[in-house]
Amino acid sequence: MATEESAESLLLRRDIGAPPHAGDRPALPLGPDGLDRYTRRDLRKEELAIARQFIGGRMWPYALAAFGCFAVWLSFFPLAILGVLNLPLAFVLSTVFAVGGYVTSHEAMHSNIGRAGEPRRWLNEAVGQVSTIPIVFPFSMARLMHLEHHYHCNDPERDPDYTDEAPNMWAAWYKTWYNRQPGVDGSIHHYKRILADMGTPAAARALKETVALQLLFMAVLFTMAWTGHAVAAAALWWLPRHIGLSYIRFYLSWAPHHPREGRRGRYENTNVFKSRLGHVLSMGMETHIVHHLYPAIPNHRTRPAYHALKPILAARGVDVSPL
Amino acid sequence: MSGALQKLLAIMPFLFGIGFIAPLIAQVVQAWGMKLPGGISPIAFGLLLGGGWGLIANVRGRWL
Repeated sequence: MATEESAESLLLRRDIGAPPHAGDRPALPLGPDGLDRYTRRDLRKEELAIARQFIGGRMWPYALAAFGCFAVWLSFFPLAILGVLNLPLAFVLSTVFAVGGYVTSHEAMHSNIGRAGEPRRWLNEAVGQVSTIPIVFPFSMARLMHLEHHYHCNDPERDPDYTDEAPNMWAAWYKTWYNRQPGVDGSIHHYKRILADMGTPAAARALKETVALQLLFMAVLFTMAWTGHAVAAAALWWLPRHIGLSYIRFYLSWAPHHPREGRRGRYENTNVFKSRLGHVLSMGMETHIVHHLYPAIPNHRTRPAYHALKPILAARGVDVSPL
Repeated sequence: MSGALQKLLAIMPFLFGIGFIAPLIAQVVQAWGMKLPGGISPIAFGLLLGGGWGLIANVRGRWL
């Protein structure tokens, strides 16, 4: 009888749907994600336990790919000069190497091939150094800027990749090219400002190495061009670099972080998205959120890690519907 | 050294125009067997086009 009365009184309450009285408030304060701190702590523990299963693994294929592709790419130059190279095929492969080189260097940027003090540290550094030569982006600069991107993801002033932001896919592709124009306040100018703010010896070294590699690139192009090999130089280095940089900027920077404005939280600064080209051709960026949460998880393990972490990410408010 | 380097980098689009675009145009013209008006040589044509384009890129700050 007492239960019926309380049920009836509940049904007759006119304040349902109105802001809660003091007595109706949750026992623990909820954060903007709708979770209390104990739930957040438990989710974090569970997340860490799952993530640890995917950290590390076989990294030698990255080293093999980096050195193998670099050697093949280098061999294209004398072969082209000797006139014994299928130039259209070499152009396609050079473009693939330019894009793929960023993936191998990316692992080295996060020291996933060998950490400081480990025996394989030299390999990590060597992989990083050779991988980004085709895109004329020295490893020292690439690593500094990429780590800054992680530290300040989606910060308009301090995220080096913020200049890639664009309202839609077509504008993003256009911007990858536009930002490389000599007089535009694009990527390199933003990088220079960030390096100046850092003011460290590593920043100064990165800038010097960037200028040196750019000058070497120009010297090779000019020499090849004026000795009758301009088409080969364009097909093996100039065009693959431009196509590769645009592709990398689109898939590694715009697609996983758009829209950037105001989204700086741990679980909101990176999207889960479905790529039209699939997981491999988008360089594993569909599950880039896993990389931002746990950079020590290598690229080839982010997809299985994502599926293992998916319920936790959903509980954290991440939109996991695309995958 | 730094000042000289900065000056060199400042005119890089123009240098790229004559250093790379010009011979590239000349070699494409030759490869395709194109006939140029007024008997102009492929490299002169390349220098005119590449140098001019590089100069415009230098002034405008954009290649297109």
